[in-house]
Amino acid sequence: MSVATASPVVRRLAGTLPLPVLAPVLATLAALGLGVGLIAATGTPVTAAILAFWDGMVGSTFGIGASINRGVALALVGLGFIFANRANLTNVGGEGQIAFGGMVATAVALRGAASLPAGLAVAVPLAAGAATGAVWGGLAGILKVKRGTNEVISTLLLTFIALLVVYWSVQSENLLRQPKTSAATLPESLELPAPTRLPTLSTDPSSPLHIGVLLAAVATVAVGVALARSALGVRLRAVGLSELASRRAGIRDGALVVLALTVAGALGGLAGAIMLQGELWVLKAGFSSGYGFDGLVVGLLSRGSAVAVVAGALFFGFLRSGGIAMEISAGVPAAVVLLIQGLIVILIAGSVILTGAGRER
Amino acid sequence: MTDEQLAVFVASSLRLSMPLILAASGEMVSERAGVLNMSLEGMMLTAAFGGALGSWATGSPGLGLLCGVGAALVVAFLQAVLSVTLRANQLVVGIGFNLLVLGATTFLYREIFGPLSREVIPGFAKWHVPLLGDLPVLGPALFQQVGLVYAGLALVVLIWALLRYTALGLAIDAVGEHPRAADQAGVWVAGVRYAGVVVAGVMAGLAGVFISVGDINTFTEGMTNGQGYLAIAAVIFGGWVGWRTLGACLLFGTATALQFQLPAMGIAIPTAGLIMLPYVLALLAVAGLVGRLSPPSALTIPYRRGVS
Repeated sequence: MSVATASPVVRRLAGTLPLPVLAPVLATLAALGLGVGLIAATGTPVTAAILAFWDGMVGSTFGIGASINRGVALALVGLGFIFANRANLTNVGGEGQIAFGGMVATAVALRGAASLPAGLAVAVPLAAGAATGAVWGGLAGILKVKRGTNEVISTLLLTFIALLVVYWSVQSENLLRQPKTSAATLPESLELPAPTRLPTLSTDPSSPLHIGVLLAAVATVAVGVALARSALGVRLRAVGLSELASRRAGIRDGALVVLALTVAGALGGLAGAIMLQGELWVLKAGFSSGYGFDGLVVGLLSRGSAVAVVAGALFFGFLRSGGIAMEISAGVPAAVVLLIQGLIVILIAGSVILTGAGRER
Repeated sequence: MTDEQLAVFVASSLRLSMPLILAASGEMVSERAGVLNMSLEGMMLTAAFGGALGSWATGSPGLGLLCGVGAALVVAFLQAVLSVTLRANQLVVGIGFNLLVLGATTFLYREIFGPLSREVIPGFAKWHVPLLGDLPVLGPALFQQVGLVYAGLALVVLIWALLRYTALGLAIDAVGEHPRAADQAGVWVAGVRYAGVVVAGVMAGLAGVFISVGDINTFTEGMTNGQGYLAIAAVIFGGWVGWRTLGACLLFGTATALQFQLPAMGIAIPTAGLIMLPYVLALLAVAGLVGRLSPPSALTIPYRRGVS
């Protein structure tokens, strides 16, 4: 987005608002404008489409709850991303970490966790999911420290392996597939038993909003404080700027690299466990589709701010829910939302050079 | 395995490897110049749609090919502007394009063809290679394919020669390994990187057109289905070397073909393990546990003059 070509009003605003705030807003408005134009081009009444969109986002307790739940998963992955990114590490593996976290949470919930006392029946699968994500993320850290493997490449490959393991687990009755009773039995797990499901927050039975949002809030504060206010945050930044210099200063750089990716993985795994225990209740191949990459984008666009991660995650969460509603009630393909989202990502990433963040490198 | 099964297996391995071979060969050039295109998937999907639309509208698969490659080039050019000139994060831009393209092609497909359309589009005629095509068993499998297969393979060899024997090939490696040194030696870093991404775009375009117009003669939503990512994994597993990348693509394609073939032969092994194999091998290879591979030093790092 070039400010010079914008309207006079925008130019006046640009004088008063800092560009790092303005650029994402302009990018979002431009992308939404294009989306509205496309909807108009299909011949659908624009107001009807927008009303359906709005209705899907905030028109019902179901819509609001579903949007926030979606935002919770994105926020957790995004927080993990900024944590690792503080040490100049790029975790592309969120998708695989979600998938594994969800799979292991399902396995633990179906194989015994339901008979645990009330709180533990929920907490144990969540912890197991987070631990699995941590291992999968930490593995990339160990490969980086021991073998010098670029973490972008290793986390990407680890993601594909995790997605295929999940696919495998729901195809095989020896693993997690529900027993075949007829030819129509779908390749998915049994439903998670009720005691292992996350308690909902609202008394309204139509609201899917669950305690995952509280876990995400805790994670936001923890990551935000750790990065901005703790010695750990400073050490991570030091390792990110120069491993050699930090080592001379007595920082254990290798351990920090492993730790950073382990934490990122744990948050991804927790996101997967929350998705399964919170709303999905049934493990299917591809349940994580898009969440990991959306979470990565949310993390990157936040420029390392935990608050911005939450804002971006909620925005993407509401956008997707609105798109689904628009397809159902106004007949506009939800694909328009993907298009808008992609455009926002590209425009914001492309405007980095204008807003000065590109100078950090 | 009967002769007939062997012929089917060889033909389907080649058919499934072909898009990977084309896309990975182009992506290898771009990565050796230092630009990783996560948008490879998006470029392929754009071309698959553009090719299908062009072929359907004009009735000529040749014009469809031009439309498809042209459309992929638009994505590639924008990717280059963003990742080279604007120094945006290559991964994010790539993921952004994949979202954008999936949304745009799905939207346009539904608007133009209607949802759930199974519109058959004109495809390429098979080219029967004289003599070789008449060989028993493998003749039809290997030498009665659409012309795009042979033209694509010729381009792949051309790319290897370009990288190995020309000054441009040397410049590409220099820019990917040490852009500052290359710049000081008078190499136009940005120009070489643009060229790399454009090559990736053309080859991904051919791959996409092969899938829709060359192979199954229709378009379906999201039909590239992760093959762009698989091509990137093949480049990694191939260690950024031409013939090894080709080998990786053939291996990946064969593994995919085997998952259809083995059940037909009554052999029950978990097919997910088979599809997973390429990624596990690639991971072991980059971790240095099988051989020792190292990516171009400047991969994914934007270059800026005067700043160290």
